[in-house]
Amino acid sequence: MAKLGFTLNGQPLEVDVDPSMPLLWLIRDELAMTGTKFGCGLGLCGACTVHLNGSPIRSCSFPVQAAAGQAITTIEGIASDSALHPVQQAWKELNVAQCGYCQSGQIMSAVALLASQPNPSDAEIDAAMAGNICRCGTYPRIRRAIHRAASLAAVQVFDPGTGTAVQQEVV
Amino acid sequence: MTLNRRNFLKGTAITAGALVVGVTMTGCGRMPLPHRNAEDLQPSAYLQVTPDGRFILQLAKVEMGQGTLTGMATLVAEELNMPPSMIVVEHARYHPDFADPEFYAMITGGSSSLRTSFEPLREAGAMVSALLKQAAAQLHGIAATEVALIDGVLSSPKGTVPYAEAVSLARTLPRPESLTLRAPSEYRFIGKKMTRLDGEEKVTGAAQYGLDIQYPNTLTAVMVRCPHFGGSLESYDAQAALATKGVSQVLEIDGALAVVAKGYWAARQAANKIKVTWKAGPLEGVDSAALRAERHRLADSEPGKNVEERGSAELARGERFEQRYDVPLLAHATMEPPNALAVRTERGMEIWSGCQSQQFVQGMVADALGISEDQVILHNQLLGGGFGRKIVPDYIVEAAKIAQRSGAPIRLVWSREDDIRHDLYRPCATALMTATIDNGKVTSLQSKAVAPSIFGQFIPLMTQSFMPRWVPDATHSTIGGLAAPSDPSATEGLAKQPYQFDYQRADYVMQKRTAPLGYWRSVGHSQNAFFMESFIDELAHKVKKNPLDFRLGQLDEDSRYAKVLKLVADKADWGNPPAGQYQGIAVHESFRTVVAQVVNVSVEGKTIRVHKVVCAVDCGLAVNPDMVVAQMEGGIVFGLTAALKGEITLKDGAVEQSNFHDYQMLRLPESPDIEVYVLPAQDRPSGVGEPAVPPVAPALANAVFAATGQRLRELPLRLV
Ligand code: FES
Ligand code: FES
Repeated sequence: MAKLGFTLNGQPLEVDVDPSMPLLWLIRDELAMTGTKFGCGLGLCGACTVHLNGSPIRSCSFPVQAAAGQAITTIEGIASDSALHPVQQAWKELNVAQCGYCQSGQIMSAVALLASQPNPSDAEIDAAMAGNICRCGTYPRIRRAIHRAASLAAVQVFDPGTGTAVQQEVV
Repeated sequence: MTLNRRNFLKGTAITAGALVVGVTMTGCGRMPLPHRNAEDLQPSAYLQVTPDGRFILQLAKVEMGQGTLTGMATLVAEELNMPPSMIVVEHARYHPDFADPEFYAMITGGSSSLRTSFEPLREAGAMVSALLKQAAAQLHGIAATEVALIDGVLSSPKGTVPYAEAVSLARTLPRPESLTLRAPSEYRFIGKKMTRLDGEEKVTGAAQYGLDIQYPNTLTAVMVRCPHFGGSLESYDAQAALATKGVSQVLEIDGALAVVAKGYWAARQAANKIKVTWKAGPLEGVDSAALRAERHRLADSEPGKNVEERGSAELARGERFEQRYDVPLLAHATMEPPNALAVRTERGMEIWSGCQSQQFVQGMVADALGISEDQVILHNQLLGGGFGRKIVPDYIVEAAKIAQRSGAPIRLVWSREDDIRHDLYRPCATALMTATIDNGKVTSLQSKAVAPSIFGQFIPLMTQSFMPRWVPDATHSTIGGLAAPSDPSATEGLAKQPYQFDYQRADYVMQKRTAPLGYWRSVGHSQNAFFMESFIDELAHKVKKNPLDFRLGQLDEDSRYAKVLKLVADKADWGNPPAGQYQGIAVHESFRTVVAQVVNVSVEGKTIRVHKVVCAVDCGLAVNPDMVVAQMEGGIVFGLTAALKGEITLKDGAVEQSNFHDYQMLRLPESPDIEVYVLPAQDRPSGVGEPAVPPVAPALANAVFAATGQRLRELPLRLV
C-alpha cells in the first residue's frame, strides 16, 4: 500500500492503495465512480478510457502509481455544471447510445480528439476511435456525432455577439 | 371483461381509424401486482399513477440497447396523451401478466418486445386515462367526455383536477368494459422521431448497469473454471491465493473455484496464484476440425428429420447441383461482461443484475438454493448488451450460490476471458444445399442442416425453472433430449423460405457432441440466411441471370420480399457500383420482419473492404423510426463482425480464444457507410432487434464473389 496524490476531475485527492492496481479499479471499486467501464481488462476495448492530463488512456492497464501527481478526468468530469459537453450533447441529439456501456469510453476518446483537433477529418476520427469497441455497432453515429460536436463546439467558442461561450443550434 | 383480445380485434369495427378493444388485463387475482402501493391507481401490472401525479411504467421488456425503454414508454404515453419523457420507468419484477405470449414466459427475446406489447401497453395507457377522466368527471359533476388529459394535466371546463383526488376516486371505479385506442392518424408520438429516453444518462456515465450497483460491505468474487467443457476439478492449492492481501475466501462452487476478496483487483491477483489441475471431460481430444468433419460425415450419411416438403420429389428434374457450407461457433461478447450482485437479506436472496428473463432468475435461483421463488428478489438493471446471452442467468445463479456459501454480499464479475470461454455459443453448423437445374430452369431447392441443438440444452433449463421442484433432474434432460432432434431454430430460414420452385425440402440432422449453446442475435437465421442466400446467388450465376432478377423471378411479385428487394436495389443503384467496387445482394425474413441489403466491397490482395451497406426493411409500424434505423445499423455491424472475423474454435474441448485480440470485433475504421430505408406502414410493429443480422453475411459473400470469382462457403470469409 502507498499514499498517492493526484487530481480527479479537478479535485485534489489522496489515496492509500496498492500502487500497482490499475487506475480503473481505484476509480470503480475504491471511489465508487461507476461511469468508467470494465470491458476487457487488457487495453483492447476502450470501455475504461479516461484522460491523463487531457490525453486518453486505458485505465484498466494503467497502474495507479503512474497517475501520481497527474490530472485524471473521467466521464463524470467533462460536463460543466450547467451544460453537457458538446460531445455529449451531439451524442444525445443523434441517439448514438444503444446499450450505452461502451459510450463513456467512446466519449472520452472523442473529447480528447476534439481538444487536439477541433475539426477532425474522417481519417483522424478513424485513428482516434480505433481503440474503442462498440458491440452494439453505433460506429456510423459516432462518426456523425463527432462532426456534429465539432460544429457545436465551434459555435460555443466563437460567439461574436456577446464574446461569451454559448450553446446554439447549428445545422 | 373476459373477451379474448385477438378474437375481439378481428370482429371489431374500426370507426374513423380509432380502435375499440375489449379489456383483457387481469388486474386482480393470482399474484399481487408489481410495485403495488395501496394509494396508487393501478388497474394493470404495467402502469400505475401515484397521488402526486407520477405515471410509473413497469418495464417488462429489458433495455439492452434495442430501445424498449423508449418504445414502451412511447406506447403508453400515446394513450395518456403526454410526452414519453414524462413517464417514470421502473425495471419490472417478475409477474405472470408480463409473460410474452410467444414464449409463455417473461422473456425479452425473439425481437418480440414491441410486437407483443403493442396492444397491452396501449390498453394499459387507455385504461388509466379512462379511469382518471371518469373520476374527474364525477368530481366536477360533468360528463367524462368533457374531461381532458393533456401532457399530464387533468382538467375540465371547471378547472384542473388534482391527482390526489382523481387517483383516490379512480381506484374505486369499475374498470371500463371497452377502451378506445387512438387512431393512427392522431398519433402524437408513435412513428415520430424523438431522442431516446435513456440517451442522456448514457452520455454522462450516470446510467446504472448491474456492475455499477453499490451495496455496503460488498466483496468481489472472480472465478477459476475448468477450461474444458464438461471437465472437472481434480485438485487445487489455494494457499498463496488465501495469503494475498484483501482475500477472504476460496470456495468450491460446482467444480469451479470462487475467489472472494475486497475489490476486483485483489480477487484477480489471488486467482492467478491458484494452482489447479483439471480433468478434461467428455470432449477430451476433440477440436473444431473434428466436429466439423463429423458434421460432414453426418450430412452425407444421415437422412435426418424432414422438416418441410413442398411439391413432389419427381419434379426435381435435371442436373443436380450441390454445395456444402460451414459456419463456426460464435460468442456473444456483450460489452458488459456477465456479473451479478447477490445479497442474503431477511427477505431472501436479493439480486442486482441485468438479465433477459426475470422469470428464469426466480426459478433457477430458487431451485439452486432450495428456497421459494418469492424469496428470490431480482432488481433488474440496464444491460450492457444482451444479444440473447443473458436469457440464461447462469452467472446470476453462480453469484447467488457464492453469496449463500460466503455469507457476505457478493459481486460476481466475469472477466472477458470467462465470457469468451464460457459462453453459450451460437451453434457451429454445416448445410448441404442442393438444387436441380433443367434447361436453365431451377426445378428444386433442398437443404440439409447439420448442427447441434440449442433446444436440447435450453429446454431442460426452462422446465427446471417452471416445473415443480420434486421433478427429478433426469426428467428435464429427457424432455430436452426428446425436443432436440426437432429444434426449429436449426432450420429456421431454410424451411419456409420464400422462393418458389417445383420441389422444395428441408431436413435437419442433429449433431450430438457439442459445446454449450445458446440464443445468439437472430439465432438459426444467423447461419441459415448465409446458406440460403449464398446458394440462391450461386443458382442465379449458374443459370446466367442477374442475382436481383433471378430472385424477383422466383418470388411472388407483390410479396414483402420483392418490395424490399426492389427498394434496396433502387437506393443502392444496383448494377452501377463506383469504380473498383462490387455489389452483392440478399434478402431474409426473420421475426416477421423482411430485410434486404446491398453491400459494396472492394478487394485488395486478400483484404475485403466493405464500403457501404444499403438496407431496406419492412418491419410493420415503426414506433420509434430512428431506433429502427439504429437497430438496422447495429445489426449490420454485428453481422459484419461475424462474417469477417467471428470464430470460436475448440481444442481439447476448450475454447482457444480469450479476449478481443483473438476474438475480434469490427472497429470504427472498418465500419462502412450504412443507409437504411424503412417501408412506411401503419398497422403494427413486427420486430427489429435481430432481423438486420442475417442478410449481411450472404450479401457480403455475394459481393466478394462478384469482385473475385471466389465463392466463399465458410464463415468467417477468407480469400485464398
Ligand atoms: S477495459 Fe480497458 S481497454 Fe477494455
Ligand atoms: S452502445 Fe452497446 S457496446 Fe456500444
